[in-house]
Amino acid sequence: MTAPAVRLERLRGELAGRASSVSVKHGNEAHVEAELLDLPAICERVRDSCGGRLAMVACSDERRTKGRYVLRYVFDMVGVDLFVVLSAGVDPAEPSFPSIASLFPAATRYEREVRDMFGLVAAGSPDPRPMVLHDRWPDGAHPLRKDFAIGTRPGGTDARGYEFMEVAGDGVSEIPVGPVHAGVIEPGHFRFSVLGESIVNLETRLFYAHRGVEKLAEGMTLDQALLLSERISGDEAVANSTAFCQAIERAAGAEAPRRATETRAICAELERIYNHIGTLAGLTLDAGFAYGASRLLLLKERVMSLNEDFTGSRLLFGVNRLGGVGVDALLVAGEVSETVSAVLEDFRKVVEAIRDESSVIDRLSGTGTIAPGLAFELGLQGIVARSSGVDVDTRRDHPYGAYGLLRVDKHHDTRRQATEFGVKLAKARGDVLARFDSRVDEVEGSAEIIDQLLVKMGGDGTLTVPVAGEMLEPFASALGYAESHRGRTLHWVVIGDDRDSLLRYKVRTASFANWPAIEVAVLNDIVADFPLINKSLDLSYAANDL
Amino acid sequence: MTRARDRRQRDILHNGVETDRRLLDRPRYSEGFRGTVALLPGAAGVSWPGCASGAIRREGGKVTVDLGRCLMCGRCQEAAPEAFAIESGWTRPARRRGDLVTVQGGDVPVASAQDAGALLLEKVGRVLGRSLAIREVDAGSCNGCEVEISALSNPVYDVERFGVRFVASPRHADVLLVTGVGATNLEDALRRTYDATPHPKVVVAVGACACSGGIFGETYASAGGVAGIVPVDVYVPGCPPRPEAVLYGILLAVDRVAPQKTS
Repeated sequence: MTAPAVRLERLRGELAGRASSVSVKHGNEAHVEAELLDLPAICERVRDSCGGRLAMVACSDERRTKGRYVLRYVFDMVGVDLFVVLSAGVDPAEPSFPSIASLFPAATRYEREVRDMFGLVAAGSPDPRPMVLHDRWPDGAHPLRKDFAIGTRPGGTDARGYEFMEVAGDGVSEIPVGPVHAGVIEPGHFRFSVLGESIVNLETRLFYAHRGVEKLAEGMTLDQALLLSERISGDEAVANSTAFCQAIERAAGAEAPRRATETRAICAELERIYNHIGTLAGLTLDAGFAYGASRLLLLKERVMSLNEDFTGSRLLFGVNRLGGVGVDALLVAGEVSETVSAVLEDFRKVVEAIRDESSVIDRLSGTGTIAPGLAFELGLQGIVARSSGVDVDTRRDHPYGAYGLLRVDKHHDTRRQATEFGVKLAKARGDVLARFDSRVDEVEGSAEIIDQLLVKMGGDGTLTVPVAGEMLEPFASALGYAESHRGRTLHWVVIGDDRDSLLRYKVRTASFANWPAIEVAVLNDIVADFPLINKSLDLSYAANDL
Repeated sequence: MTRARDRRQRDILHNGVETDRRLLDRPRYSEGFRGTVALLPGAAGVSWPGCASGAIRREGGKVTVDLGRCLMCGRCQEAAPEAFAIESGWTRPARRRGDLVTVQGGDVPVASAQDAGALLLEKVGRVLGRSLAIREVDAGSCNGCEVEISALSNPVYDVERFGVRFVASPRHADVLLVTGVGATNLEDALRRTYDATPHPKVVVAVGACACSGGIFGETYASAGGVAGIVPVDVYVPGCPPRPEAVLYGILLAVDRVAPQKTS
């Protein structure tokens, strides 16, 4: 038996008698139904006996078809290519469900989201405050309910206020920062409680950039929703649109042609490269080394200009199409290869120069540490998790598209390399320097992946397969996922009655999963290091706020 | 492959001046760049309702394209190549929102190749004593516009050479560069930022979202553009606009500022 099959057997054994039988869809989604009140006990079993990590909580308003709301808890089975989707219905007459925040700290934010957007209350939640909808939002209006008209403008004039956690004691003071920040960055509010220079507590308040992505998608055609997915987070356009397209393709039982999956992967790695270089430039600048930063920004500009030659967009908008891609990487293979290797060569020189600056490295080292155990508990994703020694990478754990045929990281290869990788991961201390180093490694890794892809590039040149009409059953649903430069972006779609719309589009980006990291990373560091820590985590506000 | 060669430098650590001295004068965009939509004669008989952001309309028997809404996705060209053509020149920012709407048979507002960078330098010098302070405000964008605005500070665009600099507080700003849809959750903060800005309080709306709401439109979460919250002086179309376009928008904004009295 394969590893996922073994895990599936164990899951079946654990849940026997407690939930419905397990049905597998799309190869790696195991669906189980349970009674609402049994949820916490079952979640605990999935976590403790089956190695489940909470990946997403998605609610949907299915009152029209099933007479109830449905909550879906998606678990990622650590170490195998398997997702478990546990669902339970919520009676509209009793709009409440048991909180699982004591089992999974990450659940708190999903539960707050469900409360705001659907009006279902998580009983026993440690944090019942509103989250997505801010001060002037009227009570009783929940945007993702089907009977909420999208054009409704909140009429409330009374600020209902928001209670931050108060830290009291001699010498403790508060520093409010944002939502409008001092740099060219996105909006968010940070409430620091400080004792002298040391940060004793940080609370973030987000969702200032909430644009109603999920509600909007419900009124769009699938192709329009694809354009929307590119604009969830502009610098993650490829990752999010790939996740969306793959979800639709899975729902349709279609598979994008080889040339398309290769082109998607090349673009995804270009996206990773230009963003990582940008973040490294930001870190270098914040540590006071303007020259190093300006060199890196030049390299970022070169990659963005390559993006434009390749796709007509500096931010790689327009790469993806339902069922494939709109651009062909083979046509520009020479230019991509030439530019990426030239950029990489220069990148190494600049990184060496930065590493020679002890004043930079000293600032990064030991700053903003996230302990490995905590990174796992909080459900952190992507580079932030890896820099704290948590071995997760969607490209390897749930190989999608072209990544199934590639060596994504070195420990796939030989035992010796596996050991090397293990040692490296174990050394990942979770500080700003670890995240700096990981980003440098990933730029190298992405360049290598692009190389491998360009060499292998094949297929018959077909760029898209049809994904429409009869292929898409009404109510068909599927998960779609991709590893952006921030980590896994996980999407869930439900096809609408007319086969060209969405009943539900749930998006959980890596940023949503990673935002809690900042509140723990800054503890006991000084306020002046906050910008550095913030930059090292590279969290997107737009991708979190939707 | 000239552009590819441009990107391959001698030595990144000792490579001299990288700044583009003729930024607005000479096109930096590649041939495939999707910068604007032209209406072709074939548009007369076309009705295409599929535009994701609602940029294409038919009014009074004529087809119009609102470039302040357009995402430059190119779907219209694919659906009706006889009616719509995606072109690589970027759409010229405008002082009046209506100037971004092209009517069939009318001109496409593509930025003219003039030495606008030098003009900006001269204007900033004459009008503002060589110092234009800008505060950027994200009012609910996808961060795409921020990426391009940030690029203005890299060595290639180097916006500071024109006397333009980004400041940390609205109290120090002449111009507010606002991106995003005008998010409901940011309304109060945007208003207060505007209130905190000293006169002349010039506002430049950057990107399709800030101009019109873009693909996000006007909803419970979006004011359908920042003009729904604060008065806007210049509209910069694009999704996202190129750095040159943002610079051009700033240039237009300076025109709005009354010349300083010289003593």
